[in-house]
Formats: sequence, C-alpha cells, structure tokens
Amino acid sequence: MSQSTVNILRRADDQEVVATLRDGIKPEDLAAIEREWGPYRAKIKQELVRLGIDKRTWPQSLHWDWSKKGPELKLLESSGFIIEFEGATQGIMLTKTASYVSRLEGGKPLVYIDYLESAPWNWNVQELQRKGEFRGVGSVLFYVAVLQSEQEGFRGRVGLHALPQAESFYAGKECRMTKLGLDANKQNLPYYELSRKEAQEHLSDGGEK
Amino acid sequence: MTENMKNKAIPNSKWLRRMADAEDLCTSVAVGGLAQDLGMFQSAVAEVPKVFGRLIEYARRERGLSVEALANAANVELAEIVAIETEHDTVPQPRTVYQLAQVLKLPAPRLTELAGLAQPRKVLSEAAVRFAARSEPMSKLSDDEKEAFEEFVKVLVEASDGG
Repeated sequence: MSQSTVNILRRADDQEVVATLRDGIKPEDLAAIEREWGPYRAKIKQELVRLGIDKRTWPQSLHWDWSKKGPELKLLESSGFIIEFEGATQGIMLTKTASYVSRLEGGKPLVYIDYLESAPWNWNVQELQRKGEFRGVGSVLFYVAVLQSEQEGFRGRVGLHALPQAESFYAGKECRMTKLGLDANKQNLPYYELSRKEAQEHLSDGGEK
Repeated sequence: MTENMKNKAIPNSKWLRRMADAEDLCTSVAVGGLAQDLGMFQSAVAEVPKVFGRLIEYARRERGLSVEALANAANVELAEIVAIETEHDTVPQPRTVYQLAQVLKLPAPRLTELAGLAQPRKVLSEAAVRFAARSEPMSKLSDDEKEAFEEFVKVLVEASDGG
C-alpha cells in the first residue's frame, strides 16, 4: 500500500485541504469502511422517513451495506483507492483492469470503475437541505482512475455503470463521458465510457500547473 | 501508481473546482457495477411481498419500543434496525432475525421466511399480501392497521403450530 496527497474542497470555508490518497485497498476493506459510514447512512434514512420524503428521491446508494458481503468481497479481484482526511474515509473507488474492454473504441483495454462512492456526509441531499462537507471527492477519484488507465497503457480509457442520480455528472460537459445505453446485464444501469481523447484532455487540464 | 502525484497538486485547483461544481449538481456520484453484481439492488426472494420491515416496525410500536430500545434489547446494531424498517429491500442477517423474534415474541422460522432467508410457505405469502395491502407506515397504528397486524401475527403463529 502506498500513499500520496490530493486536494479536496472544504465547503464550510471554500478552502482546499490536503487529504491522503491511499492505494492498495481491497474489496474486503469495504466492511470496515461500512462501520464508519453506516451510522451516517442510518441518520439520513431516519431523517428522510421522519419527513415523509418520497423514497424515489432518496439517495440511490443509501441502502448499500457492505458489512453483510464479507465472504463475497474476499473473492473479488478489484483493487482500489481511498481518500482520507482527518482520520475519516471521505471516498472510495475500486477498479478492475482486466475484466472489461472498451465498447467505444473497439475492444481496447480500459480501467473499469467497479465502485465509487463518497462518504455519506459528503452527499448533497436536497430534500434535507443538506450539502456535503467536502466537495470534489468523487472527481478526484475519477481523475485517479484516468491516471491509472494512462499508467497501465490504456490511454486514459475508463468505463463505469453510473447510478441514475449520478448521470448528470458523468454525462455532463465537465466529465465528458459517452453514454453507451442501458446495460441489460446490470439491471439496466447506464454504462459510460471516457474516450482516449477526452481522457487526454482531463490529464492535460488537471495536470501540474 | 500514485508515485507521480506525490508532492504535486494533481489534479490542480482549476480542474478540481470546475469538476466539484459539476459534482455538486448531483446527490452523489456513486458507481454501481459492484453493488449490482452482489445483488444489492433487490431482495433474493422477489415473489414475496416485502413486509418483513413493516411487520417489525408494527410489532415494535405495538410494544411501545423505540428503534433504539429494540436495538438494545435485541443486541442488534441500530443501523440494521433502521435499514430493516425503512429499506424494504434489506435482507437481514439470520442472527438478527432470531434476536428480533425473541424480543418481539414472534416465531423465528416464519420470520426467517418473511425476511427472504428461506422459501416461504404459501399460506404465509398470502397473509403477507393481505397485510401489505392493509398497512401503511405511520407514527401510530390505526385500528385497522392494528387489526391487520393481529391477523397477520395469528397466521404466523398458526403456520408455526402446524409445523
């Protein structure tokens, strides 16, 4: 496992803070992170229920509970990254480098983001007038995936299945991924890819200045 | 792979702020392939009405217990009780079902079926449909809901007595 630093944005004072990026994270580590995140998920749920908010608008990953998936997680081959700040896990990403190939660019290799999520305290839950504490956590992890793809020799190509609530980010003009339809093999989750060209622009725009 | 990120502000401020503004327009930027692969989008037993959570909620309220009090009495994590009552796709741990059955004085084998951990018998599925049709999550049980709850519990007990 190695670590480096990345900046994320603290909403309270709009300042960049220096967080730690760790790699070498394994799927089974999710169970430990769930112990940290679970109580916050539960608080958000309680508040949504108390206010009678329509479930269709709830955060779509609210019910995920990795602590129950221990044996299955141990069998997975993803590896990944977390962002830590002040002792708390602010976000996590698991990636695969061998299981998927590009649909956009004729079967060329890519980094597949198997799982990406920011900590529940970083979510924007509009129905609760609640804004996340730290901004840009998902964006930095996405950048790390592009960088991993570049370093693997995959030219920055990245693929992922987004939750519908996250589509406007991945499809938007900043992220610039291409939607390749709903994937019947993944319960119709929308599948997105970042092309080599767009990846190079991200690396150029986000690189050392 | 993070070697070349060391001691550098990568991604840089301009990129970060632009992307964070875009990210801010979403609830979260969650990616769901792994969760889908692990069946976290639906219960393992889809054909049974998902009334386990509501039954637990009713039984708890009927006994005048708060969520915290039930979690303590059953020695189950508070977050799991909240998940059971509010997220009806939740499939609880077998131990949790047993502990709840003990505290709420409900037959554990039938609860196990309702929780999606075992194939339910037909009479239970039918009773679950009736219960689902008559019950709504509310802060206080109405007379009709109380009656629906009592009828459902009666079927649970009878199904247990019958083996």
